[in-house]
Amino acid sequence: MSDPMLQLEGIDKFYGPLDLGVHAVKNINMTVQKGEIVALLGSSGCGKTSTLRMIAGFEAVSRGKILLAGREVQTLPPVRRNVAMAFEGYSLYPTVSVRDNIAFALKAARLPDAEVASRVKAVSEMLEITDLLDRFPSSISGGQQQRASLARALVREADLHLLDEPMGQLEPQLRTLLRGRIKHYIKERGLTAILVTHDQTEANALADKIAVMEGGELQQYASPAQIKDRPANLFTGTFVGEPPMNVFPARLSLSEGKVLIDLNEGLTLRYDEAAFPPPLRALILSKGDVVIGVRPYAVHRSQEGAQAQVIANQWLGDQSHIAASFAGASIVLVEHDRAALAEGDAICVKIAPADLHVFDAKTGQALSHGQELA
Amino acid sequence: MSLLLKNVTKRFKSETVLDDISLAVESGETVVLFGPSGAGKTVLLRLIAGVIEAEAGEIWINGVNMAGVEPEDRGIGMAFQNFALFPHMDAAANISAPLTARRQTKERIAATVGQVAKLLKIDHVLHHKPKELSNGQKQRTALARALAGGPSILLLDDPLRNVDAKLRFEMRLELPRLLKDQNATVIYVTQDYKEAMALGHRIAVMNDHGIQQLGTPEDIYLRPANVEIARLFGDPVINLLEVRPQAGDMGALVELSGNPMPLIGLEAAIGRDCLLGLRPESLQFVAEGTPGAIPVEVETETPLNEKTVTLALTLRGREIMISRPAGSPGPASGKAWLGVDAGAAMVFDRASGTRFIPSQIEVTP
Repeated sequence: MSDPMLQLEGIDKFYGPLDLGVHAVKNINMTVQKGEIVALLGSSGCGKTSTLRMIAGFEAVSRGKILLAGREVQTLPPVRRNVAMAFEGYSLYPTVSVRDNIAFALKAARLPDAEVASRVKAVSEMLEITDLLDRFPSSISGGQQQRASLARALVREADLHLLDEPMGQLEPQLRTLLRGRIKHYIKERGLTAILVTHDQTEANALADKIAVMEGGELQQYASPAQIKDRPANLFTGTFVGEPPMNVFPARLSLSEGKVLIDLNEGLTLRYDEAAFPPPLRALILSKGDVVIGVRPYAVHRSQEGAQAQVIANQWLGDQSHIAASFAGASIVLVEHDRAALAEGDAICVKIAPADLHVFDAKTGQALSHGQELA
Repeated sequence: MSLLLKNVTKRFKSETVLDDISLAVESGETVVLFGPSGAGKTVLLRLIAGVIEAEAGEIWINGVNMAGVEPEDRGIGMAFQNFALFPHMDAAANISAPLTARRQTKERIAATVGQVAKLLKIDHVLHHKPKELSNGQKQRTALARALAGGPSILLLDDPLRNVDAKLRFEMRLELPRLLKDQNATVIYVTQDYKEAMALGHRIAVMNDHGIQQLGTPEDIYLRPANVEIARLFGDPVINLLEVRPQAGDMGALVELSGNPMPLIGLEAAIGRDCLLGLRPESLQFVAEGTPGAIPVEVETETPLNEKTVTLALTLRGREIMISRPAGSPGPASGKAWLGVDAGAAMVFDRASGTRFIPSQIEVTP
């Protein structure tokens, strides 16, 4: 199954002198398989855009190798990397129509006219820009330019498609639909794509794998499901997922066959020690002070359990977001039905041992996920 | 009655930006002004604040006509999306600015600032200048300043727009309690439908210089006045299928991929060109052979905030989106069958966009 299209080996980026300048990207190692969609996800300044620009060839690599379709490309200029791009600063050709912008690479590759026309039609319909095809870039809005640029990249064949914040300016009503269409389009054609985004919702929606970056480092590189179920550390745990993961400082101990999780304000969660296998028990108990995390959908209301008091119950049409005061902070629950709860109501919440994430209080590294070691 | 707008009209030169707006806001109520940019939301806030004047109509606050009343005498607190903090003053001084202007005693000012800052969890950064504050802290500082004067009316112009997703979510959950504690009457402007539904006791949907619909979040989501409003609320967006209801044994019905679907109480739609609105969460994957099930071809799946969204094509090649709780079973590709909750279906007139309101169903005990 392994068929690598892109390999980053020990990639560093310094702005300024090597080893002395600003260390923007730190020793990134990752492989993108042929046909995969990968999201580089992080907030501004995390190094994701520098990484993308190095892959595209707009930015020199300070150290390390980039292998694309088996070739070392880190010293090649952008045009010789066989990469299709849609991003800021790589704008549409101002003197030709949107249609000719999209068709440019196809015509350069001497595809028959009918083939060019049908491909341009397909990609334009998908991105809902058919009525803009005869306009010039300067006469359309920023969001429309963004879609035209995306069409120009997706219409052509290339070893790799690089998409920078592809849907940043889209109207919200179109966003979810276009995500579905774009994903289907990429998959149907077997394209390999890397998108850069600060929006974890977009990364989750589109990507087979997410590379979470922070402080120039790759924090975790895994599928959305793995990041949700097995976040490598507190950063990825709380950055990926909406509503965000609930986290509480805690102290773990073992007493009379129970694992006790002491939270703030005298609240204690109790679990049968049998719920945690011995190696896990030994590890988490050796730590004492930890941070526990639980995803909002994994917090359930129940007849008995830890006491909490409702702060807010917000119905969004297809989901209820409930916040309740809990252990000196608040805990968030997601329910898919409309919850009949009002501010001030007392509820009991239950967290299954399988849904409990434990992180080292000092380093933030994950120690365990549910009943497994991290 | 805390705030009353009577037939307010505002023009800029010959252009009408607000046309005959009337709105009554109860004391302690939060009304959200929701709509696209250019709908006149911010202009309406500025009129209430007294920064600009209306060409026609009246604005009453706590039973007093505001004609000729200066902005600072209206008992209004304001916070905007761009924070608008004084850069040379620390957070505490920014918060107390309106109090200082009112010549309150130092002790009283310090007490108020401390109280509001604690509520908004910025008491530890009170001596920081704006440039030393994170966006979230700036936003809370601006909000604290708006609250510090103990205003009877609070005008909040998209205050969460420039803060990151995590904080926006957190503030969305915290704000209602905060506003309730202050017993503030709030006009809140946003372009985010989730924020509107979460924060508004009522939502005023603005478009075309007027209020298109005023109602509770439930009214707006379940009983939108027109197709445009139905499209503005909900993610994924509501599915809209072109249909022409026919007369059936039980009233109106439409055919979906050969299956008749009754539209109870919607006789008025018979024979008209309509849009059938199906919310993505009102569609369910069902087993093959289930009566009334619509065959579809699944194109792709995209996760969306604890939901899974499926994009599928009907037999006629029409796109349809289905959303279900994340983790619940559903097909990732290939052929599938959809069950439709006919009771949740909405029918809109295609020409005008207006929703057909189902006639009252008689319930016999």
